[in-house]
Amino acid sequence: MLAGIRILDLTQEAGFLAGKILGDLGADVVKVEPPGGDLAGRRGPYLGDVEDPERSLLWLALNTSKRGVTLQLASDAGHEIFRKLAKRADVVLETAAPGALSELGIDYDMLRGDNPGLIQCALTPFGRTGPYAAYRAHDLVTVAMGGNSALTGDPDRPPVRCSMPTAYFHAGPEAALGIAMALFARENSGRGRFVDVSMHEAQLATLMTGPGQFARAPHPRRRGGSKLGRTREIWQAKDGDISFGLRGGQARIPNLVATVECMAEDDMAPRWLLDYDWSSYNHNSLEDAEIERLEAAFGAFFATKTRRELFEQALERRIMLAPCNDAREILEQPQLRHRELFTTIEYPEFGATIEHPAFFAKSNACRIGIRRRAPRIGEHNAEVYREFGLGTDELAELQRDGAI
Amino acid sequence: VAENADIFAGLKILELGAGAAGPVATRYFADRGATVVRIESAKRPDFLRMIHLTADDPHGLDGSPMFILMNPNKQSVAVNMSMPEGVAVVKRLVGWADVVSENFSPKAMAKWGLDYAALSSDHPDLIMLSSCLFGQTGPQRMYPGFGGQGAALAGFNHLTGWPDRGAVGPYGTITDSLSPRYVALLIATALYHRKRTGQGQYIDVSQIETAVYSLSEMIVRYSARGEVIERRGNASECAAPHAVYPCRGDDRWIAVAVFDDGAWRALCDEMGAADLAADRRFATAAGRNRHGDEIDDRIAAWTRTFDAHELMRRLQAAGVEAGAVQSFDDLLGDPQLAERNHFETLPHDLLGDMLFERDAIRFGDGPPRLHSAGPNLGQHTRFILGDVLGLSADEIEALVERDVLV
Repeated sequence: MLAGIRILDLTQEAGFLAGKILGDLGADVVKVEPPGGDLAGRRGPYLGDVEDPERSLLWLALNTSKRGVTLQLASDAGHEIFRKLAKRADVVLETAAPGALSELGIDYDMLRGDNPGLIQCALTPFGRTGPYAAYRAHDLVTVAMGGNSALTGDPDRPPVRCSMPTAYFHAGPEAALGIAMALFARENSGRGRFVDVSMHEAQLATLMTGPGQFARAPHPRRRGGSKLGRTREIWQAKDGDISFGLRGGQARIPNLVATVECMAEDDMAPRWLLDYDWSSYNHNSLEDAEIERLEAAFGAFFATKTRRELFEQALERRIMLAPCNDAREILEQPQLRHRELFTTIEYPEFGATIEHPAFFAKSNACRIGIRRRAPRIGEHNAEVYREFGLGTDELAELQRDGAI
Repeated sequence: VAENADIFAGLKILELGAGAAGPVATRYFADRGATVVRIESAKRPDFLRMIHLTADDPHGLDGSPMFILMNPNKQSVAVNMSMPEGVAVVKRLVGWADVVSENFSPKAMAKWGLDYAALSSDHPDLIMLSSCLFGQTGPQRMYPGFGGQGAALAGFNHLTGWPDRGAVGPYGTITDSLSPRYVALLIATALYHRKRTGQGQYIDVSQIETAVYSLSEMIVRYSARGEVIERRGNASECAAPHAVYPCRGDDRWIAVAVFDDGAWRALCDEMGAADLAADRRFATAAGRNRHGDEIDDRIAAWTRTFDAHELMRRLQAAGVEAGAVQSFDDLLGDPQLAERNHFETLPHDLLGDMLFERDAIRFGDGPPRLHSAGPNLGQHTRFILGDVLGLSADEIEALVERDVLV
């Protein structure tokens, strides 16, 4: 869908996903790193546990469908080359601190003077302006400031984050979306735009309109551990955690009834539960003791079953119950396998093959998915710089000067 | 006129479905000039219209704050899809639309004869997107879970909590906040593709797949080295300290993340802890990780005397990454969100003034434009059928009499 769109990707870790998404949509994404590689983004663990930036699994996972060049932006020569690249590019995607690129002489107004159609997208922790614009934040601080941590975790312990960076997961597609909007708008106006995306602001999406609801009815909220609101959402099966909502509403009641039927077949539904009137079940209006009684009965049943047994029942009887999968279980998940979500990429220089999620959607008309493996350091210097109009002599000179 | 508001002016999106995963996605377009028409029915209401509904609610299906806050700038057309005349109305609206976005379970659209093959036969440049938990194909496609189950299946629950305790999951239903970003991106990109080529397309989104794709690093680490990433509280592999510490007040906390040795020395300076700065065991992140408990106790003893926001400002000024753990109340007063006009008050005809939110994208010419609260069910039925589809008053009346427009 983005065939022919050239993107210069200057991002650090927070922006890797945004560039990857655009590459998987068919854009020609060129990852621009300092000579020697972007060490901050090439962290461990490493393939084969050999500490080598080209073996960084973070790098290999999130820079697929990109070509790679090295460029010393902080040098005069590097700066001039970047200007040449930007002249022929459609998009610059970056995660620099506000003002940091301007200090290197890379300024959107200047770049747009050379190329009026150029789009620049800055993905920053808090946005480009405002009292927190200069604040530093990776995932932990973004999730805390964005309102999610306060409500995540056990009530007797500090707020907690997901151990993978959910702030980047929301901000990545948000930035890619901002770029897609700017490309769409450019078709009419011919002009590029500056796209300012705030990770912090994107994080508020996880609250599902919570702040606006709070403004109407300011009840303080506390972390509920495995509960969601008043009722339990995460339960212990025989061999691990499952997710199941003991919540009401028309859309959910049939699945509660089906669960009780399932329990009855195992003689695990007490008489009162068999006679339970679900027709007007509303977890919001139950007494605490009633919730406890229900939770004890459901919990006792779940504890006798493996997660696989429970999920099989869920699929058969349309029960909203799911195992809390880990990485291994996700790679083995039959539905994901059936849809061929995973693709194997070969890394011959390391004698390794690795499975990657191949796509995030399927289209009947356009291919969405991994085009190529992540680049080695400076792998496409010659190819890319030639395409962008640099001659062989020029390239040799730049290499001598350490600019690329 | 803000250029911003006009990006999608003239664009027509027809939305079928319920909850968050579909409707959050189309808001990006509604907030930038597109006309987004939701097909709804009182016969089978969007469950968000009933999420906190009690029997004595005077506003019934029109009084759900969550629904109203999630669907501003959209129009609602009530159509009873169990009647052939109702399906015919929707088919006419598909003819009007550039984009159809739906998030029903996989069989629903086909059951009504509204699948892509049927709809695109006389509308070849139609863009249609279906989003459901597990995708349109495969043995488990009919699995009926909500976002809570999506988070479990995609790995987020397992990854969240303390290593010595059970999973807790991130607050909310993360596939409902993650997948709409991909859905909106796909619609925007498909529109761009259509503009350049004239070609429409059908896109099949599995909400779980968008989440697993986002977790590529986790998949790759298992595949490459058999590593199952476990939940580890707030600890990080590449930063130490990296934790949430208590502050003054009830349930007040600050997140602190030290990614380099310079920031560690700056933190020690602020704490007046020359002994920590000089302690060679703590000179590197690896060493600080090894002695995490000792360091965390010292930091916590210091932070608990401060107001969280005051300490955040002080640490950030000193070059130490820190952020207050913000409550909903804090977010409403957050000066950075105010700078970006994140919130906007709009009146609702039944509930009065309500506080709506914007997305995280700005183009430097003003924020996305919010103009109307989430619609009452069927609020725009007559307008859309009359002014847009060109039905006469008599034709509309006939449909009303036969209970088609409910």
